[in-house]
Amino acid sequence: MTKVVIIGGGWAGSAAAISAKKAGAEVILIEKTDMLIGLGNVGGIMRNNGRFTAAAENTLLGAGELFNITDEASRHTNIDFPGHKHAALYDVAKVEPMVRRLLKKMDIEVLLQNRAVDVIKKGDNIEGIVLSDESVINGDVFIETTGSTGPMGNCLKYGNGCSMCILRCPSFGPRISISQRAGVEDILGQRGDEAYGAFSGSCKLNKESLSEEIRDELEKTGVCILPVPKEDVKLDKLDMKVCQQYALKEFAENIILLDTGHAKLMTPFYPLEKLRKIKGLENARYEDPYSGGLGNSIRYLSIAPRSNSMKVDGLNNLLCAGEKSGLFVGHTEAIVTGTLAGHNSVRLSLGIPLLELPRNLAIGDIISYANEQIDTKEGLKKRYTFAGSEYFQRMNDIGLYIIDNEKIKRKIQRIDLLDIYNEKLI
Amino acid sequence: MPQQRLDCVDVGSEFCPCYLAETNECITCSHLQGKDFCDCHWRGICIYQEYAMNGYKSKMSRQIFNSQIVEKIRISDNCVIIKLKVTKTLARQLKEPGAYVFLRNNDMKHYFDAPMSIMDTDEQNGYIYIAYQILGSKTKMLDKASKEIIVRGPYWNGLLGKRYLKAVKNENCLVIARGIAQAPANLVIKKLLYNNNKVTFIVDRGAIEKVIITDFIKDLNSENLIIIQEDIKSDRGKSLIKNNLQTENVKLVFSGGSDVTHAYIIGLIDQKNLNPYIVATNNNEFCCGEGVCGSCSTFLKNGKSVKTCKTQINIREAIEGRIISD
Repeated sequence: MTKVVIIGGGWAGSAAAISAKKAGAEVILIEKTDMLIGLGNVGGIMRNNGRFTAAAENTLLGAGELFNITDEASRHTNIDFPGHKHAALYDVAKVEPMVRRLLKKMDIEVLLQNRAVDVIKKGDNIEGIVLSDESVINGDVFIETTGSTGPMGNCLKYGNGCSMCILRCPSFGPRISISQRAGVEDILGQRGDEAYGAFSGSCKLNKESLSEEIRDELEKTGVCILPVPKEDVKLDKLDMKVCQQYALKEFAENIILLDTGHAKLMTPFYPLEKLRKIKGLENARYEDPYSGGLGNSIRYLSIAPRSNSMKVDGLNNLLCAGEKSGLFVGHTEAIVTGTLAGHNSVRLSLGIPLLELPRNLAIGDIISYANEQIDTKEGLKKRYTFAGSEYFQRMNDIGLYIIDNEKIKRKIQRIDLLDIYNEKLI
Repeated sequence: MPQQRLDCVDVGSEFCPCYLAETNECITCSHLQGKDFCDCHWRGICIYQEYAMNGYKSKMSRQIFNSQIVEKIRISDNCVIIKLKVTKTLARQLKEPGAYVFLRNNDMKHYFDAPMSIMDTDEQNGYIYIAYQILGSKTKMLDKASKEIIVRGPYWNGLLGKRYLKAVKNENCLVIARGIAQAPANLVIKKLLYNNNKVTFIVDRGAIEKVIITDFIKDLNSENLIIIQEDIKSDRGKSLIKNNLQTENVKLVFSGGSDVTHAYIIGLIDQKNLNPYIVATNNNEFCCGEGVCGSCSTFLKNGKSVKTCKTQINIREAIEGRIISD
């Protein structure tokens, strides 16, 4: 039986574990912290703009499990906020245990609090992953979903220092670039000013610390928009953000809060003193990152060069997904790339052609498009998400943005890929 | 290819980051080696963060001070135990296995600094005990001091494989010490017993021709400590070690002695096809103790030079590239 080892238990790694398992592999998922879904523990925005299409496509391709969970745990569905339509906001407190239970039910071996630190290589094959306790996990195929965020030294050099985010590097140790350890050089994202990396795009406020009016509005509508005092509006801040889909003027002139269990504040960081000048936020405090008044985590410092089937260039048996695989933003983007990498890990072990999704699907197109753009200087400064900015515009322009489920189904049926992720290959 | 990551013994101490960070020569942190991104041998703290928080400067240096010689016991022609008065803080800092200080006769220049393992400490009253063997110029001049001595410390890399001493609990351990290496063995035995291990201690008089450790370990938990005196190079010594390795399911072996002793003991372990953790005395020649002077540098098999006064490496790697002579 093929043994697939996945490094990194975020959304991409969890999705890869599910699809590799469904294709017939024995799956081991290694995660350095004590929780799965990584940044998904503080995220929560699904189905906004083109993400609706991508989630529907992935489900029709046969991998709807994780979207079913986020739907089931949604606090709000079909809400609009500036620049965004039909979003769903999942409850960050509910989702992780649900994913963990699903993986357990599927008989996927999850090694929590196990940190990968190195690879054992023979020629261009990875034979095993070395953990921080010096034990080795061997496998046939490996999938790297370690993301591109942190660790502390990087957040300090390229940002404002460790802001104590959900990844908790000081406690669980740093992320390691597996591909780089295996001799494949990382690609680095840049921000507008050509500095490397970018700040994570949102922080979360403790909801209990907000005024009753704001809490009520968040509970009722999912969204609360508060104007920023004129002297504090900073448009240049938008440049440093990861999430270009939220880098709109409205997001600089207003405090936009979304209800994901916490109050998600759509800005990388915001000094607490200034925040507390706003009516209703007089007692506000941060929930994630804990030092959201100072900074946020730095991302996109570790991207592996890859094919459109998610295989890492230069190595025979390493695939990648999520932020590790490109300048992607978001849970949906991690899940769809993770699913493809997981499925292809089994194909790779069997020596059958890897699945490459056609460009008339949004998923296939974003994977190919991001790969083309990463080769250009300007492309390194952009982020690719179904939810906004350049890529959502492209979805609109070329007719990939579809919110009619039946229409998406007919398209997938026509190209004969319906339920392909449910095929057991071994 | 990515470099081998190395582990500096000072990480997390009040002396880290040090001058090496200021000169982009940090042993552990990739940023402080002049590289662009994180790729460290993580020891629980971010050295780069400590450096930035300290205003992009190294932290404090070790103290150098005059210490009173409280007691000087001549064990044999070439071996002496001294009791030195130090601060309680320094005694506490030197309490762990592998700790060492530099000692020098007051009348001599700094290049007479001789690295000495800590044999024992009394942190309640502020004393340290050191056993030294008179070998060369430094120790001959040191031996002339009668009232005061210059002490510089604390330093910690006197043993290789230190982290195994922390990791092993409720197991069987074999401690072998020969000659003057009885001195560092004392804190090793104490640490292992503290973690509820069963310790078989084979002590060999070696070149000092005496057992000097008896008084230091006589009050320890005798239920968990078996002491055997034997010439480890003799046939009896050899079979004693081999039998113990085989029958006791030994989890950790401490080798105290020269590199020849290390190679000999590793050889016995390998003959039995066993894989216990190995902790060994670090026999490189230290001069500054700060990773600056280069006297302690050793080359690994991959050609990389390692500053062993601060770097924890595997004992097998440490002796692999070396010409060993007694």
